[in-house]
Amino acid sequence: METILTLAGIFALTLVFVVGLRAAGWSDFAGPSTAPQQRPVLGGGDPQTHAWQRFHARYYTMTLLFVAFEMEMMFMYPWAVIYVAEGGKALAEMGMFLAILSVGILYGWREGIFKWE
Amino acid sequence: MGMTWITRLAAGARVPVFIAMGDGAPAAALTLSRHPGLSVVDTPRAASILLVAGQMPDALIPYLHRLHDQLPHPRATLLWQSPPIPSLPDAIAVDADDDIGRAVADVFAAVLEGKRASAPDILPDAPPSEWRGVGPHGQGGKGMMGGTPYGRPMAMTDDDIRDRLALDSYTAAFGPFLPFFPPGLVLTLTLQGDVIQKVVVTHPPFDHDGSPLATLLNLLGLPALATRSLGDRADDPVLRRLIQLSGARFAIPSGLGRLPDGSDVRTRFDRMTGAAPDAASQDAGDTTLEHLLVGLEWHAAMLVLCSLDPATLRDICKNSDTGDQDETQGESESEMHAGHMS
Repeated sequence: METILTLAGIFALTLVFVVGLRAAGWSDFAGPSTAPQQRPVLGGGDPQTHAWQRFHARYYTMTLLFVAFEMEMMFMYPWAVIYVAEGGKALAEMGMFLAILSVGILYGWREGIFKWE
Repeated sequence: MGMTWITRLAAGARVPVFIAMGDGAPAAALTLSRHPGLSVVDTPRAASILLVAGQMPDALIPYLHRLHDQLPHPRATLLWQSPPIPSLPDAIAVDADDDIGRAVADVFAAVLEGKRASAPDILPDAPPSEWRGVGPHGQGGKGMMGGTPYGRPMAMTDDDIRDRLALDSYTAAFGPFLPFFPPGLVLTLTLQGDVIQKVVVTHPPFDHDGSPLATLLNLLGLPALATRSLGDRADDPVLRRLIQLSGARFAIPSGLGRLPDGSDVRTRFDRMTGAAPDAASQDAGDTTLEHLLVGLEWHAAMLVLCSLDPATLRDICKNSDTGDQDETQGESESEMHAGHMS
């Protein structure tokens, strides 16, 4: 019974919240939004192209380097715990893993990650 | 509509004013942000009163219309030492010798009480033109680059001048009513991200002094010092000391915006703040805005623009591309669509 009451209470509060938001949206505070008001503010100027455009995430090479080294660390800790018990098999597996990650680092090298600009 | 508690509260606050600087704006317009009853805001979205100071040339009237419509309701326009503008019949004229603070406060109270109707939009409530895609129902195009949504073509790729990556470029007219632009200046800039790729001078700056030091201090994030430097108080030794102590000059990269006379933004800032002796005048030579701005990021470009004294900036604008010669058919067509129809 208590659970049902709690649920009903939460539901009622949600309803009040949603209705309140809608009412605020229709109130005097939100005036009509006309086409001239939807223009971007450029100090009276006007854009010639649409604002939907693609930016270049120039930090992507740094991200790649970070992910490569972080993944290495993430797997090397648990690997180090079981390394003695597993022996050569674990060593081979880690070698394969590092080889795959180093491809990313090599790619980054080609893209000029290590050059300070 | 009567005076409700909320309008009474609003009427007691400082009046948010946006100033549109015209040609020959009264000198008092520059120091208006020190007025106790007014709050000079940086964007029309935050303003209730549009204050047109000085005469607005015909070429800038369409810009004024777009600015006017961006103020939220309720709003009103005041013409301060400005001849009447036919498209703004409701605007209230204020003479040079009237108390501008009083006039603005009266209009603001009248608009809030509903005694004065809020000024209607000047431009029609329609997108600059209809959505035009390539499909039979006006939909779609090529990937992200298709169609002309709401009258503006999608951004197309262009080679970035830094590393030749093909990325979208954005072309828009900036100014003349941006608070960090010299009054009257309209630049059509092509940007990639925030890097300036192309500069065309659409309208040159007006022939008056403005307040370059205050603008520069605002850009450097020192609004209190900027307000303090307004008017003829720039020579105040205390202010000079405070500017020196703020370390603002070290926020300006050295070598930025170098002119043929060897001065860069930092040395021009030093001259304005009295840290370096005044040069006779800046020599623009045959420098163009392309030389100065292309390849700079936005913040650096704005520092360069605000550091130039108005006469030098006008000389540089005369040297620069004004967009008349290479106006192609396609460009003027897209301008017509994006533009203004009254």
